[in-house]
Amino acid sequence: MNVKHVFKLWMLGFCGVATLAFAPVFDSTPAFAHGERSQEPFLRMRTVNWYDTEWVGKSTAVNDVTYMRGKFHLSEDWPRAVVKPHRTFVNVGSPSSVFVRLSTKVGGVPMFVSGPMEIGRDYEYEITLKARLPGHHHIHPMFSVKEAGPIAGPGGWMDITGRYADFTNPIKTLTGETFDSETEGGMTGIMWHIFWISVGLFWVGWFMVRPMYLIRARVLAAYGDELLLDPVDRKLAIGLLVFTVAVVTIGYLAAEAKHPITVPLQAGEAKVKPLPIKPNPLVVEVTHAEYDVPGRALRMTVHATNNGTEPVSIGEFTTAGIRFTNKVGAAKLDPNYPQELVATAGLTMDNEAPIQPGQTVDIHIESKDVLWEVQRLVDILHDPDQRFAGLLMSWTESGERLINPVWAPVLPVFTRLGA
Amino acid sequence: MFRTDEIIKAAKLPPEGVAMSRHIDYIYFIPILFVTIIGTFHMHTALLCGDWDFWLDWKDRQWWPIVTPITTITFCAALQYYNWVNYRQPFGATLTILALGTGKWIAVYTSWWWWSNYPPNFVMPATLIPSALVLDFTLLLTRNWTLTAVIGAWMYAILFYPSNWPIFAYSHTPLVVDGTLLSWADYMGFMYVRTGTPEYIRMIEVGSLRTFGGHSTMISSFFAAFASSLMYILWWQFGKFFCTSYFYFTDEKKRTTKVYDVFAYATLAHADKGKLSGGKA
Repeated sequence: MNVKHVFKLWMLGFCGVATLAFAPVFDSTPAFAHGERSQEPFLRMRTVNWYDTEWVGKSTAVNDVTYMRGKFHLSEDWPRAVVKPHRTFVNVGSPSSVFVRLSTKVGGVPMFVSGPMEIGRDYEYEITLKARLPGHHHIHPMFSVKEAGPIAGPGGWMDITGRYADFTNPIKTLTGETFDSETEGGMTGIMWHIFWISVGLFWVGWFMVRPMYLIRARVLAAYGDELLLDPVDRKLAIGLLVFTVAVVTIGYLAAEAKHPITVPLQAGEAKVKPLPIKPNPLVVEVTHAEYDVPGRALRMTVHATNNGTEPVSIGEFTTAGIRFTNKVGAAKLDPNYPQELVATAGLTMDNEAPIQPGQTVDIHIESKDVLWEVQRLVDILHDPDQRFAGLLMSWTESGERLINPVWAPVLPVFTRLGA
Repeated sequence: MFRTDEIIKAAKLPPEGVAMSRHIDYIYFIPILFVTIIGTFHMHTALLCGDWDFWLDWKDRQWWPIVTPITTITFCAALQYYNWVNYRQPFGATLTILALGTGKWIAVYTSWWWWSNYPPNFVMPATLIPSALVLDFTLLLTRNWTLTAVIGAWMYAILFYPSNWPIFAYSHTPLVVDGTLLSWADYMGFMYVRTGTPEYIRMIEVGSLRTFGGHSTMISSFFAAFASSLMYILWWQFGKFFCTSYFYFTDEKKRTTKVYDVFAYATLAHADKGKLSGGKA
């Protein structure tokens, strides 16, 4: 290897390091994603169908309390590849603990631990959040299923204003003390660690001040260990052994005396109840569904019967947290729902007329928007089980909302000719 | 106070050799050995008992005192072998745990606090230093690794829970939220959102090691002591396997033998040095 070659290698290395060092200068946009779009479409479409998600208080000051609430339906078309929801936990998807979660209630029942839920039923949740870290945060409701993992719901932006330094979170215990979650126990723990580290350093340092390795190895190999085992080391070991056991014992007893009332960690099972099943006069069945790849559209043919007394108008199809509406549905939209998750004119039908009482119709429904691409739901074509599921929402003339879960196999359409 | 002068004299090194050996001690001991243990052992611990050590709401009465000693006595045993058998240095376990602690505290303030914004009290690591000290004392006092496996390893596991209780006792204080009884640790785990770590991942008193009137901790500690003893033996042997050096010596009659005493080349007192000088290694 000559000098020229070494110089070339050095230059290559220098260029590499320089590239890494300067890359952030050219593109330093913060990353906001949590990877929710990386979850497979069957996971997002056919497990939890979120609706009525609400991020209360788009801007919250540090220490103020806000809420995230909504409802979800556990799809009847739950994928075979995903473990059934025998043990679930309603969680929050956030970039670290920007809020502290004070409480979660599902159907009015506190859910501090996990519990079973039923496929095919609807649940209502409310999560109480206390603002902690200032910033512009993307917050999701999440549904975690044991052995299947977390399933992200729709994400909405929530702002927290103020200074983290002002954050406090005092909580009163059952024994009458008030603990601040940010600091309680921290100094005690650190002091104990410092104490034991000091003892440990003393023990190692006791041997560091003398020749440690090479000399001892030569002596050991030549003469055995008689000379190396210094009686003073044994005396110190005996003394420190007594000291260590004594400190551990005294520390334990002192902690017992300081905290006489303790409970073990609690890990029971949350017994949450689904929402009552509402009578639904509209019966809907999907008879055919296809995904038009170049057209970015999910088309389905539904066989619908109105068994009620009022005409019913279909207004929205929602899946994986994204919403396709027509004029009927758009009129009912919560204006605070993230616009990037809504295709307000994305739902079209070959027959827009309301379904009359007693009428049975076959309707071709198309939900079409670039959202299929943006949300990476077009990857449904790469799933091991090419099916879709979602919620079809319709409204009676008197304004009552009817929710019909829909699901079906999806056939791909790869060319416009095929469509 | 020490036998340092006699030891240096016995080593039969020239003064510059003695000075050089001390430089090698410091260069080898701190930047190489200590940092290597931090890297390897911290990763080992994070993989095998990481969640128990990271999170306040994982430190239960049953699995925490079992999992942590069993998985951490491993490197202690191997490093004790290395330091004791080659140098008669009785600080292998303490050194290992100090390195682990260094790695843990780096993680607490970089990964958990600076990067992820979890308060240090929520991610407070456990201490293993009292356990490691007693393991080292036992080896020095008994000079016998089998007795260390029986007495020291047992003490290592038994001391774990009481030595950590002063740090974590407060976290078992009860409180009531929305009519639900929780320990402070449970509520901390609930309050500080972990998106990818839902509650059901915790292993809280799952299993049957609880048959003596609910005295989970004591039973767990004794089980951990028994398992730590076995783990100590296994990892002492790992230490032996990885620390054993040898060479092959071929004598004048072309007979090749395996020689374990690698200091045969360097030690003046070695009786066979004359023979070895004519051999081929």
